[in-house]
Amino acid sequence: MLRAVYNSAIPEAIRKPVTRALRFAPSLGICVRLSFSILALSAAWAADWSGPEQQLARKIAAVTGPGAVALTVENRSSLGQRDSEIIQNGLRSALEAAGLRFVKAEQAAATVTITLSENPSSLVWVAQIRQGTADTSVVLVSAPRPEGASSTHDAVPLSLRKTSLWAQESPILDVAVLEENSTPTHLAVLDPEKVSLYRLQGGKWQQEQALPITHERPWPRDLRGLLIPAGDHLLDAYLPGVICASTAAVPLTFACRESDDPWPLVAAGLSSGNVFPPAGTAAISSAIVPRMKAFFAPTRNFFTGALTPGVGKFTTVPKFYSAAPLPRDKYTLWLFATTDGQMHMVDGVSDQVARFGWSSLTTLKTLCGAGWQVLASSSGEQAEDSARAYEFPDRDPVAVSAPIDLPGRITALWTESRGDTAVVVVKDRETESYEAFRLAVACSQ
Amino acid sequence: MVAGLAAAELSALAETRPEYGGTLRVTTSAAATSLDPADSTQPDSFARRSISLLMFETLVTIDGNGRPHASLATAWRSSSGGQRWQLHLRHGVTLHDGTALTAEIAAASVRDANPTWNVSADADSVVIALESADPSLLAELALPRNAIAKRSGDRPVGTGPFHIVDWTPGKKLTLAAEEGYWGGRPFLDSVEIEMGKSYREQMMALELGKADLVELAPEQAHRISLQETDVLRSAPLELLVLVFTREVASLDDQALREALALSVERSSIRSVLLQGAGQPAGGILPNWLSGYEFVFSTDADLQRAHQAREQVRTIPRWTIGYDSGDPVARLLAERIALNAKDAGLSLQVTSAASADLQLVRIPLPADPWIALAAVSARAGLPPAKGSAHSVEDLYAAEQSALASQRIIPLFHLPASYAASTALKNWSLRPDGSWNLADAWLGSGKP
Repeated sequence: MLRAVYNSAIPEAIRKPVTRALRFAPSLGICVRLSFSILALSAAWAADWSGPEQQLARKIAAVTGPGAVALTVENRSSLGQRDSEIIQNGLRSALEAAGLRFVKAEQAAATVTITLSENPSSLVWVAQIRQGTADTSVVLVSAPRPEGASSTHDAVPLSLRKTSLWAQESPILDVAVLEENSTPTHLAVLDPEKVSLYRLQGGKWQQEQALPITHERPWPRDLRGLLIPAGDHLLDAYLPGVICASTAAVPLTFACRESDDPWPLVAAGLSSGNVFPPAGTAAISSAIVPRMKAFFAPTRNFFTGALTPGVGKFTTVPKFYSAAPLPRDKYTLWLFATTDGQMHMVDGVSDQVARFGWSSLTTLKTLCGAGWQVLASSSGEQAEDSARAYEFPDRDPVAVSAPIDLPGRITALWTESRGDTAVVVVKDRETESYEAFRLAVACSQ
Repeated sequence: MVAGLAAAELSALAETRPEYGGTLRVTTSAAATSLDPADSTQPDSFARRSISLLMFETLVTIDGNGRPHASLATAWRSSSGGQRWQLHLRHGVTLHDGTALTAEIAAASVRDANPTWNVSADADSVVIALESADPSLLAELALPRNAIAKRSGDRPVGTGPFHIVDWTPGKKLTLAAEEGYWGGRPFLDSVEIEMGKSYREQMMALELGKADLVELAPEQAHRISLQETDVLRSAPLELLVLVFTREVASLDDQALREALALSVERSSIRSVLLQGAGQPAGGILPNWLSGYEFVFSTDADLQRAHQAREQVRTIPRWTIGYDSGDPVARLLAERIALNAKDAGLSLQVTSAASADLQLVRIPLPADPWIALAAVSARAGLPPAKGSAHSVEDLYAAEQSALASQRIIPLFHLPASYAASTALKNWSLRPDGSWNLADAWLGSGKP
């Protein structure tokens, strides 16, 4: 008879409570994520400690017998004060039920010191029992470790807003919102092996379909990918050396081919209008960015620098991680974050080099400020990155928003199809789980 | 509201996207003469663990919470009450010599490392049949010594992110990125490892820009961390311990060993000789690994030591040996001898291998049962066993090992490393080894 269970080939539990919900019900999980109030409720998870409390109480009583004891409880674990107090009360009740009475040390037949400790896999509760001059007895039990409380996100700054789109333990390369009402209702999530389509139905996210991505070569480390909603079919996926396209007919299938074809650098909404025009977008700047594509190194994490059709006389630039266009009256200024940490500002005639310290950047076309902003990421001293919006009156960036902190390292930053928002993917350093957010500029504040 | 931020201010921010390329220069104090992960003649060390896992991979890995994760095996199951394990291999993995990793190769590798196990290949899986159930089997398979290697030529061949380019035993190892690595080609082009370097030589190499990643002695770590250097320390994983070479021979012997254990002033040794590094150890397993180490006292008790010593009429003259290559070991041994003298014992420090006691460092695996077994083996004790592998069993097994009086735990020390600021995204595994698979070399400039 088979006893122990398999490990999980599918993504397993994420350690944060809110993402833990995703394992069991991805649809419910994202629903929760989209509502901060519900999120707060979901974090209020109470553990049941009664089992180990009674177990330890029985072991203590077996040593002391019924009678008067002096009890102290010390917390040496990562449990918070509230949990510690709950356990302490539970232990007292369990010990009383086992026939022990609590008295001062000088009146006690035994002193019992309970320490709430832990090891990597569980909580460890240790009772040291002293009776007269006898050696100290030690009894102990293990208890399951509770899920930690949800880490609260920093308050959203006034001018940049982030909305959680999706979270999962396995890598997210990109997320595309395929349909939305006031909130997204149809999502595509790109991971290294597939595109998963989710639809919001009856308030729950249901996986509609998983479209596998076939590839011959191993993926490069720091794998990157891009989802592009298409006009005549649902979407295209770009990965290093591989391009996939969905069929137009239902049921959908995904055709992938080994290809070094260039990736689009300009979101549809920046070059030809909006795929999903939100209300009130009529005032958006009428300027557009000419289409541009760039070749991505099939075994690396950067664009090779070869451009098509190019920026003026420049058909190649140094290897770069990301690029952002800014339309001017008679030309488009392109910013390239190159792999040597520099920023190349190419206007078709000149290539001006600066060092801004950005590795990811993208362009937003909004109703705010000058109408065009560059969204750039920077890394903090700790584990978390931040994003910030800038404008370029000339060649020097001017910050137009406060930085917005993100809960981990930014692994992807792409403009969404309609052009006024971006998807940023963040990897939590501690849990190593991934979360995709939509970043929008809020200009009303 | 925040307009007008100058470009100059922005330049203080650092780039985040990993860069490909570069040669990482590493130094170690260990001087391995074999690269075979299963070679039992090579002593375990954090450096050996680290180097092995650059070239070789295990079937599974264990995270900091003791949970198994897929590596060369993608799925596994146990049956027959945990006596039979079947691990399914990942598809599409190739060895550095270009051959495909098969279940036969993997099974032979596990068998080489564990001659007493019954290991076989079954289609795409490795089957391990044990004489008795072992709940720690996955943790055992995650040990670097159980990394999968094909042993048919001069050198073992692995599947890891780097392959061997050049190897001078005991001196230098040069590795290059494996382009077709199933987990993605590493960012670094190559890694050069200089072996057999003292801690002082390693620190000088780092300061002179001749090394990017070096080991630190525990007593160096605090001082170095105050400098502009990236320092990483593992959880306290190395047991510094006194090991008696013989079993307790008599009641007198028992009393004298107790007196010695009670005489060691760990807190002052830690403050002075270890510069505050590590934790005084009363138990074999550190508290973070067991959850109960605090029940074992670490306080010196000279009064009780005298009481124990006074039970004995004739005090033997013990010798305490130490590793002459360990710069702080002699000082520690001398200090312990002084403490012993205060308790009325006679302890002579010697670098000879035939001493009555040895001051040794034992790198502990990050699994409590395997760690306990490693220490028991080093002390010549029978392997620790527990029927259910519960924390109660673990405590009982550890208490039994301590009651044998073959060992006196002194300190739990972390593995400490320093790196140049150009080295990005390096990390430590739960077993104290460094992980360079995702590391990359930046320009070092902001």
